Amino acid sequence: MSVGSDNMPATAPAVSTRPAFVRHAPYFIAAAIVVALAASMQFDGYVLNILMQATTFSIAVFGLSVVLGLCGQINLAQAAFFGFGAYAVGIGTTDLQMNYWLCLVAGCLAALAAGAFLGMSTLRLGGHYLAMVTISFQQIVTLVMINAIWLTHGPDGVSRIGRPALFTTSQGYLAFCVAMLAIVGYLVWHLPDTKLGRAMRAVRDNELAAGVNGIDVFRTKVSAFAICAALGGLAGGLFAGGFAYVSPDQFSFAESIVFLTMSLLGGVASPIGSAIGTGLLILIPEWLRFLKSVPGLYLAIYGLFVILIIRFMPDGIWGFVAAALDKWRTKIKTSPATKTLQLKPAMVGGDIVLEVQGLAKHFGGLKAVDNVDIAVRRGGVHALIGPNGSGKTTTLNVLSGLYKATSGRILLDGVDITTMPPHQRTAAGLGRTFQNIRLFRSMTALENVEIGAERPGNTMIGAGGGAALTERAMEALTFVGLGSRANEPITSFSYGHQRLIEIARALASNPTLLLLDEPAAGLNSTEKLELHELLKRIAAQGLTILIIDHDMTLVSEAAQHITVLNFGRRIADGESMAVLRHPDVVSAYLGSE
Amino acid sequence: MKLTRREFAAGIAAGLAAPTVVTSARAQSATIKIGMCAPVTGPAAESGGYAIKGAKLALEAVNKAGGILGKQAELIIEDDQTTNPGIVLAFSKLAAQTDIVAFLGSIRSTQVHAISPDVMKLGKPVMIGGTDPTLTHMGNQWLFRFRPNDSYSGRVIADYGVNVLGKKKWAVLHSTDAFGTAGGKALSSALEKLGAPSVLDQGYANQSQDFTPVVLAIKQSGADILGSYFTFENDLGIFARQLRQLGVNIPWVGSPSIVNITALKLAGPALYGTYGVADYAEESSEGSKAFGKAYRELAKVAPDNQSSWPYDAVTVLAAGINKAGTTDPVKVREAILSIKKFPGAEGEYNFDQNGDGLHGYNIVRNEKGTIVFDKHIEFND
Amino acid sequence: MDLVLQLLFTGIGIGAVYALVALGFVLIFRATNVVNFAQGEFSMVAAYLMVVCVEMGLPYWLSFVLALVGMALLGVIFNLGVYYPLRHRTYLPVIIATIGASILLANSVLAIYGPQPQVLQGWFETPGIQLGPVYLDSQYLLIIAVTIALVIFNYWFFEHTMLGKKLQATSQDKEMASLLGISVSTMIMITFIYSAVLGGLAGILVAPILFVSIQMGSTIALKAFAATIIGGFGDVAGAIIGGLALGVIETFGAAYVSVPYKDGFAFLVLVAFLVFRPQGIFGERVAEKA
Repeated sequence: MSVGSDNMPATAPAVSTRPAFVRHAPYFIAAAIVVALAASMQFDGYVLNILMQATTFSIAVFGLSVVLGLCGQINLAQAAFFGFGAYAVGIGTTDLQMNYWLCLVAGCLAALAAGAFLGMSTLRLGGHYLAMVTISFQQIVTLVMINAIWLTHGPDGVSRIGRPALFTTSQGYLAFCVAMLAIVGYLVWHLPDTKLGRAMRAVRDNELAAGVNGIDVFRTKVSAFAICAALGGLAGGLFAGGFAYVSPDQFSFAESIVFLTMSLLGGVASPIGSAIGTGLLILIPEWLRFLKSVPGLYLAIYGLFVILIIRFMPDGIWGFVAAALDKWRTKIKTSPATKTLQLKPAMVGGDIVLEVQGLAKHFGGLKAVDNVDIAVRRGGVHALIGPNGSGKTTTLNVLSGLYKATSGRILLDGVDITTMPPHQRTAAGLGRTFQNIRLFRSMTALENVEIGAERPGNTMIGAGGGAALTERAMEALTFVGLGSRANEPITSFSYGHQRLIEIARALASNPTLLLLDEPAAGLNSTEKLELHELLKRIAAQGLTILIIDHDMTLVSEAAQHITVLNFGRRIADGESMAVLRHPDVVSAYLGSE
Repeated sequence: MKLTRREFAAGIAAGLAAPTVVTSARAQSATIKIGMCAPVTGPAAESGGYAIKGAKLALEAVNKAGGILGKQAELIIEDDQTTNPGIVLAFSKLAAQTDIVAFLGSIRSTQVHAISPDVMKLGKPVMIGGTDPTLTHMGNQWLFRFRPNDSYSGRVIADYGVNVLGKKKWAVLHSTDAFGTAGGKALSSALEKLGAPSVLDQGYANQSQDFTPVVLAIKQSGADILGSYFTFENDLGIFARQLRQLGVNIPWVGSPSIVNITALKLAGPALYGTYGVADYAEESSEGSKAFGKAYRELAKVAPDNQSSWPYDAVTVLAAGINKAGTTDPVKVREAILSIKKFPGAEGEYNFDQNGDGLHGYNIVRNEKGTIVFDKHIEFND
Repeated sequence: MDLVLQLLFTGIGIGAVYALVALGFVLIFRATNVVNFAQGEFSMVAAYLMVVCVEMGLPYWLSFVLALVGMALLGVIFNLGVYYPLRHRTYLPVIIATIGASILLANSVLAIYGPQPQVLQGWFETPGIQLGPVYLDSQYLLIIAVTIALVIFNYWFFEHTMLGKKLQATSQDKEMASLLGISVSTMIMITFIYSAVLGGLAGILVAPILFVSIQMGSTIALKAFAATIIGGFGDVAGAIIGGLALGVIETFGAAYVSVPYKDGFAFLVLVAFLVFRPQGIFGERVAEKA
């Protein structure tokens, strides 16, 4: 499994002048005070137990905020992963007489491995499957906990679980758990700003776009899932030490739902929300005891609230508060980059940048693309045109790897990319935009473009530090004329500007070949002119463009070379003016007499 | 639904703020306090209500007879939510009140397991109703049991089947939860000691929808008697019907669930002629009859073991403290352990050094839907 | 051999129950692309409605009709309260909302009716017939018959009636359907009603065997769910075959491998399918359009 530890915030490059640990000092001071309070204040057993439960549960819910909040994948088996950690510590410290720390680590690793395995087996499929598989996994784990008596003591559970020698008192142990909570909270808080975190958000917002921007979607999802599971395992291990007793019913499907609701209630997107949700869902049942005298009533209300929260507070309590706070925060205007964007497309191969040979894509009996050859020359604008349904977009999707070619070969700068997944093609130098704009809608313009700039193999960002990324992204945004609005969220931009941001995202990655899928669609005439100007400026830097569009004015003025498709076949190819006058092309567009 | 986000948020805020009213004003009076964890909420809330009524009935009697150490006794009830984490919280809440001298735990074995470490730490007597034999055999000296444990139910089932019904080829069927596993184990080992080891030992998971494979296994094993530990009545009902449908009519001696009202309603004629063990049987002794009468008057429902064990627990605890003459936990413990031939609702209490008060069970019979007391089987070890 | 036949009959019987519930899943999934986690609770609610009606002294057939009418209403409420407000969001919020609905339904019934399981009489006076070495439970026979009838009905309904064709069109391409003048929201409403009634039918049919309890729906639903994936999500015939296969596998697995792990077989088969043949028995993998 490749949960890149190098992606963790610990190595997050310092963006500002002061190092991260100085800027975040207030957080650590506050955390230290809370830990000290947990260690020194006199709680009675009841308060202690509530705090212990809230602390350990919060860590498990942090896991959900990673997988669900950041990466947009569902996990209905968090209680099972929680159980992995709890049983590892439980069985390890009692039956096997092992060291507590060893058990805790083993529990995390077991959960991590199980999470990664589960993710790898199903994350290629859609969300419903994942929901179903995690439920199945949860059920199987519960069955094993109950029935594998030789290992788990069955339904009796494991009692007299040990604690580490340093923290044998309940208060000391609580302080330790709070410290762990603070550390994990810090890491999860900063995860979104790391490369892995950005990848997760991109995958959540738009999987296809993430793929064509060089993000290994599958790996990202598996990583998110594994991190979630590992945090569940850690939380479970801490829980077991805290309560000294574990039994299967504490790790049932119902508990997984409780974790999920905690996450949703507080706000799935941030650790603060997770902590709020967890705290509330532990305290509310204590307050609402009177409702529980009728069996079912409390849970019925609980179910109702889940529906209402989803309906009215999709971002949870913290999301709600954060949105309100955002209104008060003044928008920071960014100053456009001073340097102009440098496009230095790689020049490894010969005169032909993209060579497509005998490409075919069949959907069942339908031959959407059939035996098409295209040769795109370096440094020019090449247009692919044809009437509706002629197979243009299908061709583009096969080129960028969203569809698998039925037959044929695609060479990019001499490299055979025919069987590569989208993110590898991007790494190989392909950039693209979409006809129906696919931006990461929860992010700012700058963040969108940063993800593009982060493409593996981008030589324009130096070692790939955060500052270089931001600089590159700012240059790209400035290049398309949106430098001063970099920090605004995508939703505040007009349709035409969103299109420009998508182009900037592709440009920031410094591609060898840029695929533009109907960039003029939906633009008004002024915007079309601006687009034309932009294309000229791009081409002027030597970047090769393959463009699909219906706008014949744009195509004929911008492109030197045109390939025409009809019914999935190439009917004409050559220098622009000649092709446009070709009788087959004329009849394809106007219908033959 | 015309609810805006804002209104919804305001509603949540109001809902959260309201219940923060301080609940307990600790009355500092001259009473002896007994803590009780009971399922006031959750799946077992109904039986939790019975348990509380049973305990209160005993408390009334104790106070009428002069109280404990001359003071009136008081019951502090905390909700265990029918869950393990719930009882841990409830018990810790009670344990934090230093003036509570002793506690009533749970009838559920896993819940007792869950609080057991805390009980050890606290070092005060806790009366329990959970019947998992290991509870009083794992070095926790502060647990005192007021129901016969499952090793006795197993022994009674085995004894009755082998010695009274004269059957030696046993099929043992049990659920795979804590209760069923412990019971099945106890029955199998009792059968082995009687020289009639089971020919089939079969577990099943709770909430099974179908028992055909189990019934066919019993049929094939050639067993001539069946012993069972069912947790849920609907499983018992489905099994009983399929057993009869597939033509198995061997004698059947089951754990207490086989004679409970729900099971009788669900399974109907399929359970006619079966035997069950019951820790509480109304006609089994004078003490049982007396409790039954008093309980019926108070609760207006039939008495059962849910209410009888807390009744006995409070009565015996009061007697123990009075005998010790102090609330010092160690002395109270010794006093309870020295209690012999004490008549209670569940039977005659003779505490052993493990803290088990009862050592026998009643056998009852299903006579066309009515439960009839058959005999009491008691062991001395 | 006798043993095998008996197990086969039971397996098919219990499998038919899964298939009935799976059918409800598939219909909603095809129409809305949403997995309804409260489908099992539909069965449970219907069984309780039936018990209430029968206890009020109504004739069995009338109770049956009333219970199904009640389910149709529940389908309407469910659509308006749970699905419709979220129809423009991604699948994730909808899944979670249906989970919430399942908790709400199960516990509302618990609050009203209490935790004790209830008895519902079967359709027939005779509990079953002995056919040679095999005992055929009459209620299971009825369930199998109803399943077969529903397969035929569904085929006729979706292929040969205008309403059925409109529903088909809606589930395949909503935009196209609305261009053709089909009211998509009406079609989705009809789907929820039909699916709630189907789920209810399954619940009423199975109640005499499994008794009426709060958990009756959730256990069946999980298996039915597995059945839909095994059959190929979105495929009606697949759901039926998947359900039957699961019932048989489970019964034989319990008989020859392990009784306590019986529920595990369904999930193991499911995981195996997801790993090796995610498109199910019949399904075709459909890529998201760029």
